Amino acid sequence: MRETWGVTMQNEAGKPDAGEERLRLPGWLLIILIGRHPRKTLVRIVVFLVTCFVVFNFILLPIRVEGISMLPAEKDRSVNFVNRLAYLWHGPRRGDVVSIRLAGPHVMYLKRVIGLPGESVAFVAGRALINGQVLDEPYEKLPCDWNHPPIQLGPDEYFVVGDNRTMSWDDHTKGKATRDRIIGKALL
Amino acid sequence: MKIVFRMVVLAALAALGVWLWLVVFPDPEKAIRKRLNELAATVSYSPSQGNLARIAAVQRLAGYFGTNVEVNIDVPGRVQHTLVGREEITQTALGARAVVSSLRVKFPDINVTVAPDKQSAVADVTLDATIAGEADQLVQELKFTMQKIDGRWLITRVDTIRTLSWRPNTAAHHFEL
Repeated sequence: MRETWGVTMQNEAGKPDAGEERLRLPGWLLIILIGRHPRKTLVRIVVFLVTCFVVFNFILLPIRVEGISMLPAEKDRSVNFVNRLAYLWHGPRRGDVVSIRLAGPHVMYLKRVIGLPGESVAFVAGRALINGQVLDEPYEKLPCDWNHPPIQLGPDEYFVVGDNRTMSWDDHTKGKATRDRIIGKALL
Repeated sequence: MKIVFRMVVLAALAALGVWLWLVVFPDPEKAIRKRLNELAATVSYSPSQGNLARIAAVQRLAGYFGTNVEVNIDVPGRVQHTLVGREEITQTALGARAVVSSLRVKFPDINVTVAPDKQSAVADVTLDATIAGEADQLVQELKFTMQKIDGRWLITRVDTIRTLSWRPNTAAHHFEL
């Protein structure tokens, strides 16, 4: 006679099963560890692992932010996710924080989109100008004194820049990113 | 039983043959990846590295490059320089080791495109370098052009790729607030 996991396991003669005696743990502990139905628990674990694999490899990429170029929105060594489905139906929008791939997906830039395809982007006295108009940037808390002549974005190009512009122009990584390099939008 | 034994031996021999084939004639893409990862390890060094080990590493470094290699370094805000030939590379590596106490180089992403003749290839690589005394890591995309010379994949050209380009228009207008 066999009942469920966690209760006394006995053989047909009604005596405890010698081989399984070592498995005997308190019933409540077994229920916590593997549930009342081990097969169902196993299926749930497999489904959970497959879901995690699919979600965190193809939909939400976990990233760790390194550096201070996106302060104060993204702090150094903070954790975030990149939503790879964000731009399935539309392109990146102004103000979005996006991830931009280099040679592959293991190291990416995290920047904010300020210029859209076809626009011109310039910096005057630290203010970003889009098509000659000052861009309102409430997320920019750390002002700068950048001055740079305008560049024209192509039909497939976005202008991305970090929020922290206190560093010098040359030390800050920013510029035109083609659409195929933008792999998703920061979730948090 | 005898047939089963023979089948097992045959399978083991076939596996050994495949393994030997892959060792003797490695897949070019895998060989290039391995070579670039070895290059990253050779370029990296720690403050505790002795003088002999340092010189040996720099000499090994030359072996990764072709004789007339050209390295175009153009990292915004850092350096803009072109190195030509193995000798200049080794001299620069020695000079850098005298100035920077430690360097850790990794290539987390390597995309290799091998030419149809399998004698040349281009590798698009992400460089991730941690330099002593600098708070931020250096992240840069590089393009390695490689050629198979005497059975070894050697780097013949290195170019810096501007992932985010900033090229102002020549007819720039000036705006005032």
